[in-house]
Amino acid sequence: MDKILRINMGNDGGPQASEEPLGDYTGLGGRGMTSAIIATEVPPLCHPLGRDNKLVIAPGTLSGSHAAQSGRVSVGCKSPLTGGIKEANSGGQGAQVLARLGYAAIVLEGKPKDDTLYKVFINKDGVEIIPDNSLKMRGNYDLIDKIKAEYGEKVACISIGPAGEMKMAAATVAFTDMEQRPTRHAGRGGVGAVMGSKGVKVIVMDDSEMPTRSPKDPEKFKGANKVFAQGLKKHPITGEGLPSFGTNILTNLINEAGGLPTHNFKTGRFDGAFNLSGETQSEIMKSRGGTVAKGCHKGCVIRCSGTYNDKDGNYLTKRTEYETVWAHGANCGIDDMDAVAMLDRLDDDYGLDTIEMGATIGVAMEAGLAKFGDAEAAINLLKEVGKGTPLGRIIGSGAAVTGKVFGVEKVPVVKGQALPAYDPRSIQGIGVTYATSTMGADHTAGYAVTANVLSVGGTVDPLKPEGQVELSRNLQIATAAIDAVGYCLFIAFAILDQEDTFNAMVDVLGAFTGQDLTADDVVALGKKILDYERDFNTRAGFTSKQDRLPDFFKTEPLPPHNVTFEVKDEDLDQVFNW
Amino acid sequence: MSSDPNKNHKTTLCLTVEKDRVPAFLPLLSQGFTVKTKVGLSIRELLCSQLGLSTDYFEHRLQTILLDGKAVDDVRAAVVCHGSTLALSAAMPGLAGAILRRGSVYASMRHQITHKKNAKNEIVKEGTIVLKLFNLVAEDIGPMFLMQGIWIRGENLQDFFRRAPDYFWAGCRAMEIDDTYREVDKLVHIDWRDQQVFLKLEVK
Repeated sequence: MDKILRINMGNDGGPQASEEPLGDYTGLGGRGMTSAIIATEVPPLCHPLGRDNKLVIAPGTLSGSHAAQSGRVSVGCKSPLTGGIKEANSGGQGAQVLARLGYAAIVLEGKPKDDTLYKVFINKDGVEIIPDNSLKMRGNYDLIDKIKAEYGEKVACISIGPAGEMKMAAATVAFTDMEQRPTRHAGRGGVGAVMGSKGVKVIVMDDSEMPTRSPKDPEKFKGANKVFAQGLKKHPITGEGLPSFGTNILTNLINEAGGLPTHNFKTGRFDGAFNLSGETQSEIMKSRGGTVAKGCHKGCVIRCSGTYNDKDGNYLTKRTEYETVWAHGANCGIDDMDAVAMLDRLDDDYGLDTIEMGATIGVAMEAGLAKFGDAEAAINLLKEVGKGTPLGRIIGSGAAVTGKVFGVEKVPVVKGQALPAYDPRSIQGIGVTYATSTMGADHTAGYAVTANVLSVGGTVDPLKPEGQVELSRNLQIATAAIDAVGYCLFIAFAILDQEDTFNAMVDVLGAFTGQDLTADDVVALGKKILDYERDFNTRAGFTSKQDRLPDFFKTEPLPPHNVTFEVKDEDLDQVFNW
Repeated sequence: MSSDPNKNHKTTLCLTVEKDRVPAFLPLLSQGFTVKTKVGLSIRELLCSQLGLSTDYFEHRLQTILLDGKAVDDVRAAVVCHGSTLALSAAMPGLAGAILRRGSVYASMRHQITHKKNAKNEIVKEGTIVLKLFNLVAEDIGPMFLMQGIWIRGENLQDFFRRAPDYFWAGCRAMEIDDTYREVDKLVHIDWRDQQVFLKLEVK
């Protein structure tokens, strides 16, 4: 992983690939790599779909090795949804295969001369950029079937669906999983639209005959990795909860706590939550012959995914995640798991962010385009997006645009990006991260990976209300660092609770890189990434005024606890004050 | 919402099922069931002394506890009153999961929904509470409650049977309603709404 592949799609005479050494980007991976390149090379005031924007795809620094849970890949660009810097990350096979092919990043740049659609093929022999207009407007599933027929069952794919081709601001970049299904997505911020603007439909990667990446200290690495994996397996969340119920294990609990946004953030409890819960979902999956406990990439020991079959026992989609179940379920008043699974399938096929789409359909329902709870209407709205009708293009542009077009006051977005599945009036600390994240509202921007283990948040008294800003800051710093390494964020629970697992993780990193890492190094890396991102956003015109939640969170009490968001603006402005 | 066993229209349903069908009933427990118990006790006293959970299980497995929808940190101080709803969960993923854990280092991030009202001088007396069991906790202790019998809302049971897949019915071997034997085939056709049902499982 010692080179960067640049593909200039605007080259005179047709797209041209070139390789270059890492140079100033040496040592960076994942989000560290994407944000460094975007902040350094992309003019912040450029049009996101124009010549000067770049799409960067970067595996984490551990990807391609035998390190457990190191299968995350980052996708970065200037976001067409937020207008700021964007890093969206994904699971799937992409990170491992790309890293084994030796690339620390693929950078798509320039503006195509015409509307020809291309596929890129990468293997041990090099890179081919092939025009293929037969791929136009194919859904991701159909596209991957075609690629599989052509290139076989061992390749991994990075692709866009029709939404990306239509340059919709909610479009994703899809990554195939171990079964070559396009179920994993770099979902947020419209990264798929930028890939579409570069005229690339799919990147096909074949790592045959390419070696697994070797650690600097193989013996230490092997031992530490074993302890780390055992730590994940013995922890009740990573070893039992997530494999049994997936991330949707959260629905019942968040609903009971009154923090499950329902009917476009009108209430915090949904009467139909039981029908959408992870417990119910798992029973449905098992009763229809679906697989429970499945990884999305090789080397995953948590296995939070699975397969959700339809009533006839045929594959419909992967185990639908909590965020999706919330967005298309409670937020739209829909309590039919099969309908939610169908919406998830359509999102994956069209290449759309499930959070943005669920929030947008919720806004559309608020506007009266459909009734809350009408699953058929929600499916039809999504199909409008897939077809690219005028209404579909509005919906596919996200919640903020849809709210403007239909005159809706209550639109749950920050920096133009829809809020995820936790109401910030109930869980205010998450609201701090939603408001201040460089990415727009993002539940993964400040993950629970610090505090007692990195000693950067541990001085805060957990039972006192003060300190939410400090916690959010520290969580955002640590998350940025983890995103750079390529670890799945779900390792957080085991490293939070089990000191030996945290130490093993640090040893894995140290043995792989040959460096003795400390918590200070991790904090420095996280701060460096956030500095890149804040600097880009500032130069793009962002001020503290964008670090705010919509007003209704401050003025409309949320049942059942009737709470409002109380964190003061001046406190929010202290999050990045270091 | 759950069933109030003191109301009218009470029905007892005793189902004999194959052992591997018991997990299918567990999601029902997340909707809540009514338990007759002494109230006015702390959460710890109620669960360990009254409902029979071991202290080891209580301390290590029950990482997330909501009392009337509010996250509990101090399980020795928070008092369960007559009519309270107590939800029990294992440790949960996500930042929200970490925040909601009892004694979480992130507890300040949800202080608006933290349970703070610790009733002092509460009289210990007989009463009822609604218990909700989620995820791994339902798997661990749910079968025990199902074998002992639970009071649930007829609407919940009606919906549960309506959604049950074909394989579920093949594992139901016998049924008694109010001590009268009935054909299992009739189960799905019975109108359970507007009833409080005492559901008890027996395993064959």
